[in-house]
Amino acid sequence: MNTINLVLCGLGGQGILFMTKVLAQVGLDNGYSVMGAETHGMAQRGGSVVSHLRLGNVQGSLVRTHEAPFLLALEENEAYRNLPFLAREGRLYVNTSSSLFPREEVRDFLARKGIVSRAVPAGKIALDLGAPMSSNLALLGFFSAFEDSPFDYDTLKQTVTQISPDRFREKNLSIFDAGHQKGKKA
Amino acid sequence: MKREEILLGNGAIALGLLEAGCQVVTSYPGTPSSEILPEVIRLVKSENLNTYVEWSTNEKVALDNAFAASITGKRAACCMKQVGLNVAADSLMSAAYLGTVGGLVIISCDDPGPHSSQTEQDTRLMARLAKVPVLDPSNPEEARKMVGLAMDLSEEFRVPVILRPAIRVCHARQNVAYDSLAPNTKKGAFEKDPLRWAATPRFRLILHGELNKKLKEIGKRFETLTQVNFHNLEPGRKYPLGIIAGGVPYAVIRDLLDEEKRTDLPVLKLGAPYPLPEALAYEFMGACDKALVIEETDTLIEYLLGDRKKVLGRLSGHVPPEGELVPQVIYRLLDRTLRELNLKGFEGEDETEATELVKSLKLPVRRPTLCPGCPHRASFFAIRKSRPKAIFTSDIGCYTLGMNLGVVDTCLDMGSAITMASGFYHAFTQDGVDQPIVATIGDSTFYHSGTAGLLNAVYNGARFILVILDNLTTAMTGMQPSPSMGIRADGSEGRAISLERIVAGCGIDFIEVLDPYDIKNMTEVLKKAAEYIQEPEGGIAVIIARHPCLIAYRAEAIPEKKKVSVTEECAECNFCIDRFECPAIYHDQELGRTSINAQLCASCGVCTQICPKGAIVEVA
Repeated sequence: MNTINLVLCGLGGQGILFMTKVLAQVGLDNGYSVMGAETHGMAQRGGSVVSHLRLGNVQGSLVRTHEAPFLLALEENEAYRNLPFLAREGRLYVNTSSSLFPREEVRDFLARKGIVSRAVPAGKIALDLGAPMSSNLALLGFFSAFEDSPFDYDTLKQTVTQISPDRFREKNLSIFDAGHQKGKKA
Repeated sequence: MKREEILLGNGAIALGLLEAGCQVVTSYPGTPSSEILPEVIRLVKSENLNTYVEWSTNEKVALDNAFAASITGKRAACCMKQVGLNVAADSLMSAAYLGTVGGLVIISCDDPGPHSSQTEQDTRLMARLAKVPVLDPSNPEEARKMVGLAMDLSEEFRVPVILRPAIRVCHARQNVAYDSLAPNTKKGAFEKDPLRWAATPRFRLILHGELNKKLKEIGKRFETLTQVNFHNLEPGRKYPLGIIAGGVPYAVIRDLLDEEKRTDLPVLKLGAPYPLPEALAYEFMGACDKALVIEETDTLIEYLLGDRKKVLGRLSGHVPPEGELVPQVIYRLLDRTLRELNLKGFEGEDETEATELVKSLKLPVRRPTLCPGCPHRASFFAIRKSRPKAIFTSDIGCYTLGMNLGVVDTCLDMGSAITMASGFYHAFTQDGVDQPIVATIGDSTFYHSGTAGLLNAVYNGARFILVILDNLTTAMTGMQPSPSMGIRADGSEGRAISLERIVAGCGIDFIEVLDPYDIKNMTEVLKKAAEYIQEPEGGIAVIIARHPCLIAYRAEAIPEKKKVSVTEECAECNFCIDRFECPAIYHDQELGRTSINAQLCASCGVCTQICPKGAIVEVA
């Protein structure tokens, strides 16, 4: 099996660790070895947070620049900040409500590298469903809607169901589904 | 029962400790080590083990406690971050001479970067200084195995052994399969031997000789410890360049060479670099014209190898002397070295274009800030308002972020808020200058190393205001309990230790306890404190600003929720944004005005006290 490298980013408090946990578990359940790197400590106080996830037989936990086919960003500026990690032909999934995404200055770069960027108002989806802190699940649902994603809707949904704490399970799934629907329409 | 879980590196280390039958684990929290003890506790509870655990008041205390357990014959471990080992150094240096009975493993977690530390110091060099063996894992699974190996070595050679996982091991996640754990029921016994356990200098010389002998033997053992020290030379083949690495850089290099399909570059992995397995290292160097040492964070192996003609590394300028050796850094330095030696370089993409592009975007720097509703913010606001001309000495914890608010001028080490305040006092008083000084220190940091400095300051007649920011927890490192509440590491009831009583016991006569949410009151108390310092009979004034941390205590921390809003009175002066820096108060670009982000707002209502125009108000 080829190694799948993912980089997940956003701001402290947005639930990047949970999102990483879901994808790591999905990887494990599908026969991959899992290796990841997380940000803890001071940066969690609202600072930039990056999480690396590598599925496959690897020794190191960090993804090298230009080696991630997938970049999932819970915030637009953090998406730009982590662009160097994206591989050629990579896929960028971003939580943003801005109609101007991606910024003019990066469009040429993305085009030349064959990178496809996909935006979803994950924050708004989560807010509308009464869980403003759960944009991570909306973004995961959105991610599951595309054929080039390594894991499909059913696989991801099963893991979200399994990992969610009892009292949040139903809400988590509804947000995940709403994100997925947005992706389907895109 | 066999199971497979995705564990944090620190969880894998905890598992390794319990698999090795560790009966005592002590620790003081500090990134990146903080999760080891909680993971031990989780496993002890789920597997019904009897391992004793404690959050000690500091790292030296933790190591002394673990050492005592070891010399009763039990297996013991002590976990801390790398700068914590500085605090425990006194204990470590001596314990190395005295030796162990049951295995004693010191886990000191390094922070190349640094991500969350005051230095990038390399624990392996502390091991060299103390003359104890050190193991350097490359990933969580290896760290787990090395813990057991370290225990065995410690018991066999009767010497403490250090495990040095770096942050990319501690905070990596990896799938780990493990079986049920069984409790270790070994009973402790202390065999009196004062010539060893209480050795005077004359006997210390003998013990030093013993230690040197042990090191020689361990170095020999490391030559054949093929699970951690090994190379992939083909017999008889000569190579223009070989790579020597351990720890996290080894993992990166292994992945890189596999991806690039480079079989022309042999690698010597030194998972146990000190004492140096000399024969193994020389065998490897003998087959290579040049050997490039890639080690983190500082220089150990390169010094030990000695041969400056053959060995490349930091000393020769081939490896960056500071900063984390992340994969792209190793990729670049290796590529450069290969080309310099007229060997084939790598063909991957250059990331310069992407990084230059990101730079040109001028993205906002996301500096960490205190949480919405954080009581420290209220304290800092009151301090700056009431003592604007003071020197603000501070300390290590969340509240170091008070720097953003202009109320943290210094942060040296644990406890230095107090010691630097007295130092400033005497330096200025010597010149006849009356310099106001306000020191801030958190509760856990005060318990860790506040009292010695406070006793010294009182004894030597210093005068300043000390504010103890008591949020009833160790917040920065993940809400470990502190002695203020008396809850112990495993959640059981311990004895609470009153800060007021400690402070009074240090000889302080001015002690005020207040809730910083009431900024007006705190400002007045600070004024009173400033007056007290000036009195002929005055001294150090201590204010205990007590309010629970919002993350640790959630709803309890804000019993009365206050919904706030910005009125038309707002003059858009940005005072609240600059001086209060609450993440919930922001300038709304579209509306062109200062607004409250209802999702982030903790409804503490403290901000209603700060606006010069009174434009932040409580709404129904």
